[in-house]
Amino acid sequence: MSRISKTAAAVGLSALFAGGALAQETVKVGVVQGLSGPPAIVDFGESYLQGLRLAHKDYEASDAKTKIELIVYDDEANPQRAVSVVQRLIQNDEVAAVIGTVSSGNVLAFAPILQRAEIPLIAGPSIATNITAQFIDEDPSYIFRCSMVEKFQIDAMLDWAAETFDKVGLVHSTTGYGNVAAEEIQKGMAARDKELVAVEAAAPGVNDLTPQMIRMRDAGAELVLNFHESFELIYRPMARLDYRPTIAGNWGLSSMKVQEIVGADAIEGTVMGQALDLGEEKAQEFDARMREEYGSAYRWPVLAALGYDAGQIMFKAVNEVGTADPKAIRDALENIDGIDAVSATPAQPFSETDHECLNPEHVFLGVWKDGAVVRLQ
Amino acid sequence: MTNFLQLLVSGVAMGAIYTLTAKGLFIAHLATHRLNFGQGDFMMVAAFLVMALLIAGVHALLAVILVVLALCVMGYLLERIAIRPLDALAERSTPYAWVLTTAGIALILQNLVELVWGGSAQYAPPLFSQSRDSVVIVMGVGIFVEEIAIIVVAFLVVGALYWFLFASRWGKAVYAVAFNPEAANLLGVDVRGVIVLVFVIASVLAGVAGVLIGPLVSLHPHIGLVFTIKALAVASLGGFSNPVGILIGGLLFGVAEAFSNYWDSAFGDLYPLLFVLASLAIKPSGLFGERHADVR
Repeated sequence: MSRISKTAAAVGLSALFAGGALAQETVKVGVVQGLSGPPAIVDFGESYLQGLRLAHKDYEASDAKTKIELIVYDDEANPQRAVSVVQRLIQNDEVAAVIGTVSSGNVLAFAPILQRAEIPLIAGPSIATNITAQFIDEDPSYIFRCSMVEKFQIDAMLDWAAETFDKVGLVHSTTGYGNVAAEEIQKGMAARDKELVAVEAAAPGVNDLTPQMIRMRDAGAELVLNFHESFELIYRPMARLDYRPTIAGNWGLSSMKVQEIVGADAIEGTVMGQALDLGEEKAQEFDARMREEYGSAYRWPVLAALGYDAGQIMFKAVNEVGTADPKAIRDALENIDGIDAVSATPAQPFSETDHECLNPEHVFLGVWKDGAVVRLQ
Repeated sequence: MTNFLQLLVSGVAMGAIYTLTAKGLFIAHLATHRLNFGQGDFMMVAAFLVMALLIAGVHALLAVILVVLALCVMGYLLERIAIRPLDALAERSTPYAWVLTTAGIALILQNLVELVWGGSAQYAPPLFSQSRDSVVIVMGVGIFVEEIAIIVVAFLVVGALYWFLFASRWGKAVYAVAFNPEAANLLGVDVRGVIVLVFVIASVLAGVAGVLIGPLVSLHPHIGLVFTIKALAVASLGGFSNPVGILIGGLLFGVAEAFSNYWDSAFGDLYPLLFVLASLAIKPSGLFGERHADVR
């Protein structure tokens, strides 16, 4: 072979390898989260994102063939901004899939846009009952979710409450979230032939729940259901009123931030909807990894676990498809199997008729016990 | 009866905080016809600073002194950055440009605090007691030690402010500047110094409120706005020119808030504001606005 032929062959081979490398596409996944705004929103959003980033780190460390880039935007807990960043993700960033966000109202604002654009969404950690149900009859639905579902946690709680307590009261916020939760709880109690002994509301910016807790005490409530976004407020008046009912409520009560604010003694025995049992070895290992990875910024195990699982599921689906093909990724998501989830999410979370990671049988009640949230026995 | 007294006490404690915050608005407005729209955010910064110092192990008294000094500096800087440049611009700035500049400083403070401490709610250790649940029972009514401190300090501060305004040389200077800055200047009053002083005092009042309120609420970077709005309502209710009126207005507002939350919790925050609106419709100068003539 002449020298020129050898050079030409070398150039040809280089071009071939270079072409092969170029063919390995980086798939962009958009992430919308509430990372600023009301404190509860920030805690939900940052914790879910922490888990998601750890899943991405693990994915990159694996021998996965498809490179994935996360593009993260803060929706500031604002529906207009959420819609705007989702449009930006679709049009400018050309993402193949989206994960997010905290506020159910925001998800319900941008989910129809993603459904029309035929881009799959794993919603989370939004909690409103109807998020995937609204789209499940579409042919096909692009809307999935990896998060707690309000109705499931309320049902689990009311079953336990109706069986264990004679007098149950409710404190909820006057936000859309608080009012919807209150309605679901009152319907749920009626379905169990029970009635709440007192129902009190509080504005989102309120600083003192003494008046509401006086009402609870006077009504003799042994269990107070807490569905106010400032989860810690309800504990404050208990010392001054010398009134210590059992507190149960939204999964937000499992946040270590709430424990830090109200104190370990006050929160002991508090019950909430849960999908991660820190009594289990796998959950403890994950918890230790998160503490190592994020230090004091890590504050909410169940949120981080669901974020991690949402990431695992999405990245596995993208890797199976190997290209930025939203329709193929949607199909892969629906049929995904073999997920080794940290939370109670099953190995095959989705099907054609079910786009929720968690079903009623996966949601259980957790309780604060000796500084950790474990399964309520 | 116990419930009545319990609500009264918690209302008076919160009202005392509104009073301190509103006093800052009052004194700045008295001398300059301007006020700090970030008054609640100055309070929030003070609460975060004292929290950080206490957690770092600084003695409570030293922490309070350091925070009050920091707020003095903030008040001075506010006047230099957000108020004085508007005077230099004179006709080129709009009469209410200070609303934007002071609100802008408030937004900057919120973002700075969020950068340093994050957006989560925070626990501030108590200043006057060992634990967060230290309660004194009087006639069956539970009062947090921190609430007693708030009420006592609020009355002391109001008394001191009253003495400062009506019995001290600087207080007379404040009223002279409020009456006519040019005439005060001709009489040898340091008008610019008085303006700086009132913003420093306003800032220190926010600081005292912040130091006191930290242990009673969940702190977060956006807590200030609600207090600014309520302080404006209190100052309007009591009368912007009457320091005693603001004390009564603050306590009335806090008590009204506690009772309205008991009576109808779904709209508990609405009724006190409606009460302020109704009272302003009847007496636009505030309930106590005419007892002491506005020197302006």
